[in-house]
Amino acid sequence: MTDLFQYVPGNSPLHRMNPVTKIVLTVSVCAAAFLTDNLLVLLFLLVFDFMIGITAGAARKAFSVFRGLFRVSVFLFILQTLFVRRGNRLFWIVTDEGLLTAAAVVLRLLVVCLPLTLVLTVTRVSDIAGALVQVLRVPYPYAFTLTTAIRFIPQFMEEMSGIMEAQTARGVEFDTRNPIKKLGMLLPLCAPLLISSVRRTGATATAAEVRGFYLRTWESGCRKYGFGPVDLAAALICAALIAGAVLIP
Amino acid sequence: MILAEHVSYSYGGGGQSVSDLSFRIGKGEFAAILGENGAGKTTTVKLIDGLLKPTEGRMTVNGLDTAKTKVSERARQVGFLFQNPDRQICRNTVRDEIAFGLRAVWGKKEKDRIDERVGELLDLFTFTGDEEPFSLSRGQRQQVALASTLAVKPAVLILDEPTTGLDYRECTRIMEFIRTLNEKEGTTVVMVCHDMEVVLDYARRALVMAGGRLLADGPVREIFRDEVLMERASLLPPQIIRIGGRLGGTFAEADDAETLASLVADEAERRRGA
Amino acid sequence: MIEIQSLTFRYEGADRDALRDVTLTVPDGAFLGIIGPAGAGKTTLAHAIGGIIPHAVRGDFYGAVRVNGSDTAETRLTDLSRMVGTVFQDVESQIISSVVEDELLYGLENFGVPRDEIEERLTFALEQVGIAPLRHRTVSSLSGGQRQKVAIASLVALRPGILVLDEPTGELDPFSSRQVFSLLRTLNREYGMTIVAVEQKIMLLCEFADRLAVLSEGRIAREGTVRQVLCDIRALEEIGVNCPRAALFSSLLAEKTGAEVPVCVNAEEAVEAARRVLG
Repeated sequence: MTDLFQYVPGNSPLHRMNPVTKIVLTVSVCAAAFLTDNLLVLLFLLVFDFMIGITAGAARKAFSVFRGLFRVSVFLFILQTLFVRRGNRLFWIVTDEGLLTAAAVVLRLLVVCLPLTLVLTVTRVSDIAGALVQVLRVPYPYAFTLTTAIRFIPQFMEEMSGIMEAQTARGVEFDTRNPIKKLGMLLPLCAPLLISSVRRTGATATAAEVRGFYLRTWESGCRKYGFGPVDLAAALICAALIAGAVLIP
Repeated sequence: MILAEHVSYSYGGGGQSVSDLSFRIGKGEFAAILGENGAGKTTTVKLIDGLLKPTEGRMTVNGLDTAKTKVSERARQVGFLFQNPDRQICRNTVRDEIAFGLRAVWGKKEKDRIDERVGELLDLFTFTGDEEPFSLSRGQRQQVALASTLAVKPAVLILDEPTTGLDYRECTRIMEFIRTLNEKEGTTVVMVCHDMEVVLDYARRALVMAGGRLLADGPVREIFRDEVLMERASLLPPQIIRIGGRLGGTFAEADDAETLASLVADEAERRRGA
Repeated sequence: MIEIQSLTFRYEGADRDALRDVTLTVPDGAFLGIIGPAGAGKTTLAHAIGGIIPHAVRGDFYGAVRVNGSDTAETRLTDLSRMVGTVFQDVESQIISSVVEDELLYGLENFGVPRDEIEERLTFALEQVGIAPLRHRTVSSLSGGQRQKVAIASLVALRPGILVLDEPTGELDPFSSRQVFSLLRTLNREYGMTIVAVEQKIMLLCEFADRLAVLSEGRIAREGTVRQVLCDIRALEEIGVNCPRAALFSSLLAEKTGAEVPVCVNAEEAVEAARRVLG
């Protein structure tokens, strides 16, 4: 779980792509997913996600994200089927429209989540920030906030599992299968986690300041983020995805 | 009593695996596990506590197989003091913090018994009970963590680098508590510790690990005097042992500064007389 | 050079001073160790030298701290950090980037180091700290000792004249602790960098530092060369500072034999002293 957002070095076309293009591609996939209600298009987008994963050499990670979302998806699916009242009744209180809407919601969730994690697999967080600042002229403090937040995720998770281990050692039964009971046990632990996180962000801010945080401008970064043929291809794909989502009924 | 029979454990991702560990730690012993980082020390103590279950072999604590024991049952038997007290502390007052573990293990119905036990511990550690753990110093927080670990009177106490980040006085205070517990109550203590001086002062037995395997197991003093072994485990013996060893003869048997200085002074006297 | 004059500091909301009337001079090229019990003001002192206090921490600040002649209270933290590099106690939160190379680049880029000089400084810092092979590794794949070195390298790349470290070996095992300190010694001896290290492990300070400052309840209780400070073992114990067993041994030996025994700071010296007494 902790390596979900971890950068994996590599030299695939996706690694070489401009970070801004990768963000645009991600946004396009998400936009396409929300613009269409066609299950086939959604299914195609999911396949597209996996193709990206394979191109990036991160097929295994894509599958693990998929697995991780499985439970939530099943839950969402059941919830949706039970709540949608329109359409023809198939059995009990389940309707055909309910099933279709539920399938669309779940597919959309999967389609959207995959590229978000994949971007972080093929792009260093610092490159995302660098490109945002250099290409899009996003003010550096915003980019810094973004990178810091992403960098803290694995640390946060590590801390959480450390805390859970310590609590298990003193007899708190985290291994319970009852999710409500588990939530009840987790809540009291949020205080120490928050305290340590706040302390950490303060230290990070100072550490950045003593290394010239306030001097940084869009020109500071010495890596240049140019656009190449891969980016052009990606832009065409983006356009095609969105056009497809809008035009295919 | 802790009994490890050919215990192996391997992590899926990070963490040092251990292989084929066999040892027996009797009731009332004070054992230290030594080795450099990545030798598998923490994995070993987590296996004893049942936080990790052996992938091969069997680990039993007081006759109970850790792989088959429930969390609450195990917490009654084994107390675990972590390096970082902040992962353990989750309540707003010291009193509440000590009671928290007791409630988890004894059950909420035992209110009177819990109150009584909390009172005992507050006295023992000289806390009023109303302190806020997060406003205390690191050393005091470690004492809070120790107090709540000891609350359930575990038969086995595991310490994972208990003195990290503490100053000399705080370290001595924590270790003296543990020594008393070991001597008076017969609590079995298993400690992972990087400070060889602390190991020499408090532990009686040492298990030396390297690369996930048990290299040696014996009385602390004998282990420290085995220079080849120390070298193999990348460990530096305590200064007095090194000084005595270098001087040789009877000097090598001294293990505190006082004794060694007396031995040298007496010998100097004798030589001058002759 | 660091000159601290009658420095008193109290954190906002605290009921006592963290530092009380501290006066201390650290000459260029010194390797100073700061030791003392918990709450004695070690971190506060380290942060006052780096300018973190008073710039990033609120409280009442009296007295003056001058680094290379500039008053830290009147100099911007950014400008101060060109002279003093600070390694924080929690290295984890100090590292900003996810890849080692980026971590070093960060400061270099911000301070506007010319592009053609960046590569040279980067390789120099990596090699000096001995982590050249880690250049393209992700920070999360490194051990505690390696992360500590990355933090140090990111400052070394900026070439400050002074390096301040707050318990750099706090979470490290003895082997990595010694590695970090021998690295500091190299930076000190070969590049004349002034080193100020707050450290709990007295044996490390005895082996690597030239001078020691002992803090107690916000004051400087002892200051001098390592040997001078170790002379009075009783006083150190009273303050709550452990001393190396070799020093304890040499002082006991002097007491018992009445002979002149020099203070021993390590095992080798103690062996020699004992042999001399034995004749």
